[in-house]
Amino acid sequence: MVAAVLAAVLLVLRIVSSGWDTAVIPDRLSDFVTLSISVVIESLPFVFLGILLSVVVRFWVPDTVIHRLLPRRRVLRRAALSLLGVLLPVCECGNVPLARGLMMKGLSVPEAMTFLLAAPILNPVTIVTTYQAFGWDDGILVGRIVGGFVIANLVGWLFSLHPRPDDLLTPGFSAACKHEAAHAGHSHAAAGAGARRGLAGVFSPAGRAAQKVKLRGAVVAFSEETSAMLPALVVGSAIAGAIQVGLSRDILLALGSNPIWSVLALMILAFVIAICSNVDAFFILSFGGTFLPGGIVAFLVFGAMLDIKMVTLLRTTFTTATLVRLLIVVGLASLALGFGVNLLA
Amino acid sequence: MLLSLVGIVAIVWLAATGRLGLYIHPRYFEFTVVMAVIAGVAVIAAFAVLPGVRDGDDGHGHGHDGDDGHGHDGHDHDGLADAEGHEATGSGTAPRRQLFWSVMTVLVIAGTAVALLVVPPQTLTTATVDQRDLNNSVAVANASETAQLVASDTAGFTVKDWASLMRQGAGEEYFADKTAEVTGFVTPDPQDPENVFYVARFVVTCCAVDAQPVGVPVYLPGWEETYPVDSWVTASGGFGPNPSTSSAQAIVLEPAELAPTDEPAEPYVY
Repeated sequence: MVAAVLAAVLLVLRIVSSGWDTAVIPDRLSDFVTLSISVVIESLPFVFLGILLSVVVRFWVPDTVIHRLLPRRRVLRRAALSLLGVLLPVCECGNVPLARGLMMKGLSVPEAMTFLLAAPILNPVTIVTTYQAFGWDDGILVGRIVGGFVIANLVGWLFSLHPRPDDLLTPGFSAACKHEAAHAGHSHAAAGAGARRGLAGVFSPAGRAAQKVKLRGAVVAFSEETSAMLPALVVGSAIAGAIQVGLSRDILLALGSNPIWSVLALMILAFVIAICSNVDAFFILSFGGTFLPGGIVAFLVFGAMLDIKMVTLLRTTFTTATLVRLLIVVGLASLALGFGVNLLA
Repeated sequence: MLLSLVGIVAIVWLAATGRLGLYIHPRYFEFTVVMAVIAGVAVIAAFAVLPGVRDGDDGHGHGHDGDDGHGHDGHDHDGLADAEGHEATGSGTAPRRQLFWSVMTVLVIAGTAVALLVVPPQTLTTATVDQRDLNNSVAVANASETAQLVASDTAGFTVKDWASLMRQGAGEEYFADKTAEVTGFVTPDPQDPENVFYVARFVVTCCAVDAQPVGVPVYLPGWEETYPVDSWVTASGGFGPNPSTSSAQAIVLEPAELAPTDEPAEPYVY
């Protein structure tokens, strides 16, 4: 009810204001607003999809399924998780809520990190669009897939050396995980009972009641995740929009034909432009003539893993110190990858 | 929650009035609207369920603590201070911190609401053209596409098609007997802003963030008196060598007709 009324009020506001004259707004400001909104509108559906998947994983996928399917050895486990993107081809901004859901489900921090970094690259949509854009030319597609896999697992391995992985998380989220784990036993018993009874359980009175409680919990979880994600998304998009208006691209493009600088310039471009990994191949495609393939691979790998919007989204879950380390490792690895491809190509 | 609602209402309204194209490429329209509607249902359900949960179920009361905490997490500067903030609840600094973050939250929500719901949707302007090289290789078609263009009928050519042909150096003999009709916004030539302007459009690959300007140059000394920057015009005519000595463009459109027009419903090209 409340929501419906609110929605109606907002809609009326929108309709009333749409007729207003725009001449009073300076061009720069108006472009800043347009650019930021376009990042929000582009990412919002992916974020919603990620949150929905995360809630489904948390409430309807039994823990046992996850733990039985994944290999026990940690290295193999992370390798398997980095391929999980194949099942969930969402853009990287949708992966953040999903990774949070997986961590609440008991996945370790380095494992979730590996998934976060690998999934935007190792998923069918990204691979197909990259193939459409570049084919097999210059090892760009291979460089992206292999490079993405290696870097994600390298990061996962590095962070698994951390003595207290919980310290990598913000205290708020870490507490939420512990809380979820404590509750898991009790809700799990109920879920197990429901599952044993199978479909019949859903229709029995007790099963229905359990389902209702679950649905309620899921809705609450959805609202908590949106409250966590959306402010971060809005702030990240605003920063991305501001950088777009303030920074001239000519400088970055001018650096593009130098074998060393092209890699760095394209990584910076990837970081500030903040577009989803599903489509970035098309964006960079026409740079093909201007830039060396190493720069393009670095753009496609680094940009898919981290950008200005991703960093604000990740800040909801990881501490600043963690993110700085993550940026340094991924940045250096992408640089090395870019130089390597330039040498070979 | 309120932010989701703002976002959802904005998306649905833009889609209903056909203005979603100002921000994203049409291929994402369906996905975006479907997700907005699904999320809308979930948000409305959440608003209905939440008050009940707040009063009852103790377990989820905890969740709400976390919820407020997210306000911190999103913007805090270091994790250490964050930890203090959580543990110091009850001491003197905590309420002030809390107040600060609630003010920030309100500001973010208000800012988003104004940007998404109050400011009328607009296309990008010349301010963005200045930041991005006009007709750089990103936007225009590549060599093989241009080769196809050379062979095809020019009647349906867009600003992007003409700009590609010029960029790829189709040559004066190609343009000699061609006439074009193009619609776009007016933006000055950086090298010779007095005499040359472009009839320009933005090419969008994914969303407005990656928009790249393309344009067909027009030689017309003193153009700015009649056609202000960022106004929309339709120009038609043949092509000829550029009389301007400082402009980098070799070929310009020589407009037989040049008339102001309204911004089209689809301001970007794809």
